Amino acid sequence: MAEILLEVKNLKKYFETPRGKLHAVDDVSFSIEKGKTLGLVGESGCGKSTTGRVILRLLEATDGEIYYKGKNIRDLKNNQMRDLRKEMQIIFQDPFSSLDPRMTVSEIIEEPIKLNKIIKDKEKRFERVLELMDLVGLSRRLMNTYPHELDGGRRQRIGIARALSLDTKFIVCDEPVSALDVSIQAQILNLMKELQEKLDLTYIFITHDLSVVNHFSDEIAVMYLGKIIEKAAAEELFSNPIHPYTKALLSAIPRPTIDKKIDKIILKGEITSPINPEFNCRFANRCNYAEDICKKKEPEFTKRSKDHYAACHIF
Amino acid sequence: MNNKVLAIHNLKVRYLTEDGSVEAVNGIDISVDKRKTLGLVGETGAGKTTTALSILRLIPDPPGEILSGNIELDGIDLMSITEKEMEKIRGDLVSMIFQDPMTALNPVINIGEQISEAISIHQHVTPDEAKKKAKEMLELVGIPGARWAEYPHQFSGGMKQRVIIAIALSCSPKLLIADEPTTALDVTIQAQVLELMKELKEKMDMSMLMITHDLGVVAEVCDDVAIMYAGRIIEQGSLKEIFKSTKHPYTEGLFNSVPNIDDRKSELKPIRGLMSDPYNLPVGCAFCDRCDYALEKCKTEKPEKIYFSETHFAECHLYKENIDFQLNSGKN
Amino acid sequence: MSENTEFVKTEQLLKTKKRSQIVDVWRRLRRSNTAVIGLILIFIFLCMAIFAPVIANYEDDALKMNVRERLQSPGIGHWFGTDELGRDIFARIVYGTRISLFVGIISVSIALTLGGTLGAIAGYYGGRIDNIIMRVLDVLLAIPTILLAITIVAALGASILNLMIAVGVSNIPGFARVVRAAVLSVKDQEFIEAAKAIGARDHTIILKHVLPNSMAPIIVFATLKVATAIMATASLSFIGLGIQPPTPEWGSMLAGGRAYIRDNMYIVLYPGLAIVLTVLSLNLIGDGLRDALDPKLK
Repeated sequence: MAEILLEVKNLKKYFETPRGKLHAVDDVSFSIEKGKTLGLVGESGCGKSTTGRVILRLLEATDGEIYYKGKNIRDLKNNQMRDLRKEMQIIFQDPFSSLDPRMTVSEIIEEPIKLNKIIKDKEKRFERVLELMDLVGLSRRLMNTYPHELDGGRRQRIGIARALSLDTKFIVCDEPVSALDVSIQAQILNLMKELQEKLDLTYIFITHDLSVVNHFSDEIAVMYLGKIIEKAAAEELFSNPIHPYTKALLSAIPRPTIDKKIDKIILKGEITSPINPEFNCRFANRCNYAEDICKKKEPEFTKRSKDHYAACHIF
Repeated sequence: MNNKVLAIHNLKVRYLTEDGSVEAVNGIDISVDKRKTLGLVGETGAGKTTTALSILRLIPDPPGEILSGNIELDGIDLMSITEKEMEKIRGDLVSMIFQDPMTALNPVINIGEQISEAISIHQHVTPDEAKKKAKEMLELVGIPGARWAEYPHQFSGGMKQRVIIAIALSCSPKLLIADEPTTALDVTIQAQVLELMKELKEKMDMSMLMITHDLGVVAEVCDDVAIMYAGRIIEQGSLKEIFKSTKHPYTEGLFNSVPNIDDRKSELKPIRGLMSDPYNLPVGCAFCDRCDYALEKCKTEKPEKIYFSETHFAECHLYKENIDFQLNSGKN
Repeated sequence: MSENTEFVKTEQLLKTKKRSQIVDVWRRLRRSNTAVIGLILIFIFLCMAIFAPVIANYEDDALKMNVRERLQSPGIGHWFGTDELGRDIFARIVYGTRISLFVGIISVSIALTLGGTLGAIAGYYGGRIDNIIMRVLDVLLAIPTILLAITIVAALGASILNLMIAVGVSNIPGFARVVRAAVLSVKDQEFIEAAKAIGARDHTIILKHVLPNSMAPIIVFATLKVATAIMATASLSFIGLGIQPPTPEWGSMLAGGRAYIRDNMYIVLYPGLAIVLTVLSLNLIGDGLRDALDPKLK
């Protein structure tokens, strides 16, 4: 029986705004096995990035439980959490703004080690930085360059090296390749997969790009307006999508081929506001199949088949 | 000749910066037929946006300058007309929509007025007539005309992009240049906007130059495709020719880099290395360092255009001796 | 998989120095003609201040009253002439430079440290802390700077120390605001979040990541404030609340020479020129720095 590294139960994150409570993350639950990848997919405003940050306690959850290796980390005090951060890390989307522009490549990678006093000896620390640079494919010559002198792909490698510099076991990857050119995306994705195998890492891969997550995940959860509306093993989700939103999402992806002409499901309307949402299906206003019950009652997240869950009244 | 709305010949654009000179566009020939869509594909730094700006003569000078080349738009030689005449053409004969809808609209003017402004500049109409036309344009792009008095911040990203399309099309241009129009949008919104653009192209009987790095978008909307790399068009052809008979190794590399949603198991084969330093372009083929098929002469000699059909060419040494050479993907 | 992984010796790499960002800024600053003029002028004044004892003798030239030599026009013996009490004006200008620059720099340092800390805390933590700090400083800001300085000097007595305190304190709100704004502009950037994610504590984040990246507007502001501090010093001394005679200070020299402006205008001309030139040079440098530090103009 595989070990469950991370488990999230009924996670909620609400923000107070002048217009009311913004339900960014609304009762989200899932678990990830060690060494596996959970893809968290959705469009802008669905709450996936917020979920990632709440898991790492970079933002404090409003409610719910987060279990890492069986322990509820929401109970931890600041210094205990700091200890845990040696194992739980994050890779950011923007390879530019996520690196301190005044620090060189080696300084950026070295900082977590220095801060946490993992290696006190300067020379040994330096050796470790070089090791990490080799691991992520950064030429050692780049040691003293600044981020702005490098392209997006290399900068993202720096971010990855930094995330790996401690005794990392679990990484929240927040849209790690969205800001990169297509050919560089492929390089970084391959690198991340390699590292996962080499170092037995567990990922939660946050993205809006379904084609990327298909390639990379074992299990996929689709989010819409703060809720997970469907969850299944990757292959299962792509071959048998249940929720109308998932279907629309899959059909909307432009495919680089002229062979198959897929009938696009074009969604009507706009996404509703996450502020003070109604207690009905949040997707109802855009759904081509919506019926009365959808506008009145929130659908339950139920098991449809082995490891395949969805929240929908109609399907 | 007259069935072309745009004909560019040997365009060279250079930027002079304090770090050196960048040959952003290195001698390209493109043409767009009437009522057709040409996709201009390439990654960051390939020179696509520079090409688009050249057509509108919006290259900031300094530091940029158009070194040479002809640009003919609907029969008019754009290099020989004055700035005043050019102003009449921008927005009227040719329009452009940019990538980021969030910053392309003026936040303090309502959207109806922004559309009317485009109309009033080019057509002699009363303010009321302009307003009426603006409302019509809004309906055309799927926004209720009653919303003309609202401000940009009241619209979402996708709707802002529709407004921008409305502005661009308000004077029924013959050519619409779209610079990555859907890159900043969510996938489902992108689908909506692309669908809209396809509809409008038919309705308004116009041609499009679609700049993108997304081959999926190209497959959706384009009739012809030109692939750009380091300032040169390294392959060009009809949609079918490019997708089914890929000739240039870079084009093949692009196809291999894109995760195929319908084939999970396939491995991603990224193109190794990085695009060459624009300040220091190599002597031979610019793609040489990253090419798995590179020959000795690729390092020192620039490849010439090899034609595979009337419409399909590639700049590559591989085909000079052997026109039937096949790339590994064997997309033939 | 990895590109060009050369196994360069570790020791070699440790020795290579990183291209200092300060060098970059200096190079860009040098490109502005006006900034260079400002730098040259300030350099001259700095030399005058540092080498004052070499240039002129304090006791004999600047302080000693010599009624026989009073009101002499500029000439060979006295380059700038003598004032109403027979003292050499040039020598007094030279020693006055010391005071002006000293008070200017120290008072700005006081304001920067105290105001900057308050601003950084307010900006970083936001919420109620921000509110409380900024509203208190708003009260201070509502009082005209000169009036505030006068009040402090009047209460504590006129001395160089109190002068520095007065000018320093009156500048605290301004610095708090600038630092707060700079901190706000940086703190929501992802690399700050990244620092939190690797376990950095708040004070480390502020000192190591936030402030170094928000230095540009603060440096420009500080440079310009040294100029206003010099003017404030001169103004206070002019009205008798700053440096007390016979200590040479440009403002008090202006005050002393006022009566003689018609026939011996050189008595006020030179101190006036000194004030104008120092303030001007600092403003030119400040403007040049603003452009040199602007990342968008790279």
